[in-house]
Amino acid sequence: MAEYPVHLARTHRLFDGRTVTIRPVRPDDFARERRFLGELSGESLYLRFQKWISAPNEKLAHFLTDIDYDRHMAFVCTAPGGDAEEVVGEARYAVNPDNASCEFGVMIADGWHNTGIAGLLMEAIIGSARSRGLKTMEGQVLSSNATMLRFARGLGFKAEAVPDDLTIRRVVKKL
Amino acid sequence: MKRIWLESYPPGVPPEVDTRACPTLRHLLEQSCARFGERPAIANMGVELSYGELNRLSRDFGAFLRSELRLEPGDRLAIMLPNVLQYPVALFGALRAGLTVVNVNPLYTASELEHQLADSGARAIVVLENFAHTVEQALARCRVEHVIVTQLGDLFPPAKRWLVNFAVKYVKRMVPRWSIPGATGLRDALARGARQGLPEVNLGPHDIAFLQYTGGTTGRPKGAILSHGNMVANVEQTAAWIRILLKEGEETVITALPLYHIFALTANLLVFLKLGGTNVLITNPRDIPRFVAELRRTRFTAITGVNTLFNALLDAPGFDEVCAASRGVLKVAVAGGMSVQRSVAERWQRATGIPLVEGYGLTEASPIVCGNRFDTGEFTGKLGLPVPSTEVAILDEHGAEVTPAETGEICVRGPQVMRGYWNAPEETANVFTREGWLRTGDMGRMDGRGFVEFIERRKDVIVVSGFKAYPTEIEDVAMLHPGVKDAGAVGVPDARSGEAVALYVVKKDPGLTAEALLEHCGRHLTGYKLPRRIEFREQLPKTVVGKILRRRLKEEAMAGHG
Repeated sequence: MAEYPVHLARTHRLFDGRTVTIRPVRPDDFARERRFLGELSGESLYLRFQKWISAPNEKLAHFLTDIDYDRHMAFVCTAPGGDAEEVVGEARYAVNPDNASCEFGVMIADGWHNTGIAGLLMEAIIGSARSRGLKTMEGQVLSSNATMLRFARGLGFKAEAVPDDLTIRRVVKKL
Repeated sequence: MKRIWLESYPPGVPPEVDTRACPTLRHLLEQSCARFGERPAIANMGVELSYGELNRLSRDFGAFLRSELRLEPGDRLAIMLPNVLQYPVALFGALRAGLTVVNVNPLYTASELEHQLADSGARAIVVLENFAHTVEQALARCRVEHVIVTQLGDLFPPAKRWLVNFAVKYVKRMVPRWSIPGATGLRDALARGARQGLPEVNLGPHDIAFLQYTGGTTGRPKGAILSHGNMVANVEQTAAWIRILLKEGEETVITALPLYHIFALTANLLVFLKLGGTNVLITNPRDIPRFVAELRRTRFTAITGVNTLFNALLDAPGFDEVCAASRGVLKVAVAGGMSVQRSVAERWQRATGIPLVEGYGLTEASPIVCGNRFDTGEFTGKLGLPVPSTEVAILDEHGAEVTPAETGEICVRGPQVMRGYWNAPEETANVFTREGWLRTGDMGRMDGRGFVEFIERRKDVIVVSGFKAYPTEIEDVAMLHPGVKDAGAVGVPDARSGEAVALYVVKKDPGLTAEALLEHCGRHLTGYKLPRRIEFREQLPKTVVGKILRRRLKEEAMAGHG
């Protein structure tokens, strides 16, 4: 397992004046990640996992926070919360078995849409995937998720049809 | 845009319809009652209600709602009835009183009902006694103030009423125990309403006639807001389409699909009321021998159904006699709600001598959007041509029109298209394009003559005999079971119902059985949503970042069962 890439942490000032930190996720983000998942609407969870997720469980939060920083890389976006920082968004990629491509996933807290953090998170994972030498990044997006398809196109992804399944689209970007 | 389909219209069908003469459903009913007074409007189990009686009973019921219950125009009344005489009485009573009707599937479980009552904010509900126990359970957590209970035979003549109500309750034991303090009997309500005036209400096309619930991809159903204007437009559009074969005041239609579903509500009840026809209500079409016996007794000129129903009829003993008696009498057979299989359409035409004419629509469009021609005499396998005053466009994902004959999303504009979903501005925004097209979620194409063809669904939805089941709702229920760690639902082809639900489950409790899980699902989900098959897996197929691969599950399901 690779070491925690502390040098990838960045602080950003958003359009609305708030300050957020984009940094690789840490195992001790477990509780924050769980709270973040727990506050997402059913709709947001569905769009990300493409199935019904009832009360997000420990196993899921563990999968999302305990990563190897190599084949599985993830960034969280944190903001100063009540008494500590809170996770308000996250993005990740995992390397496919071909070792040349990876799949990404991104989730934003319901109250943090249209703040620019999704773009910052995507920038972070795209940069990381590029420096790891990966050639393409792809994602599985629901055809009904017009917002995500528009967002991905804005980042240079191309949307492709998936054979035998019109309910999803595959978005692909050359790195 | 060019309406290429207009050139393919049959002679006699106008390109546009005009609803100014009949701007609301109240006008529609009152005009028909004035014109067709003595004609039978509704028939059920051998008992008929004339237009005059429907007029009087619905007036009395409306007066009860307004003057006794003090409900106000715009308040919601839920109707939880199968196809019985009480349904049109309650429906028109509510609409004439200016109320908004919320149709409820009587087979709903308490949790499904509770959601619908709470979301719609219904103040009152009319329910058949057989389902009152469900209302009792749901009542605790919603703000329904008045419950009106009716027994199956309540609108039958005295001797038959007593016999039917007694048999249902004590012989067949079809009424589970219930107790709702303060509930009013329908007969009592009608008697009290008869002594009251129906206050005048200034109803216009923009007033809401129905909150018609339909499933959503995430979680619970949402209410499509259908105004009086939407509904009368669709009645006119459908009547214009069908009128070339039918005569006013002379038709009898078999209404076997439930009236709480938008298809039978518009295509049968409202269209045939407009035409002065008779709706023969089939209370339980699953009881095929009784259904066939009823058909044998009835001289009917039209019938509507879904593929599943026509298939069941064709297989039923005694249906050949019905067909023989119907030759030259039956004029119209309409199928909607789900794709019609060519084999069923061909058998139907051989058996009855008339084609099965397929139509297409969705709750959000009141529902009819397209219809095949009634005069061509053959099954096309297509959804048909856009009906009058309706525009259909095939759009790509950016909302631009695709080149002719290319596949895209079927999108609709017209006076029958809903205003939006009740209390769901985001869902409303998602279902309309910026140019005001309703996105149906169905992918299709349009040929050079304007016929629309269905290709596949873009949304994750399973259509079981014309009823929509959403995987997320089934997954949600399955995962409420403490023995379930993860669950994924997919639609699999089914010879009888078109599609059926298959559920894949990862156990938390190793002792969990499919029977126990099915029983659990049965407590939360109506029958058609229940998994036809439950299979256990060590894990569900997912991508490397954890997205479900439904395609893989479908492939597995199909490989396993040919």
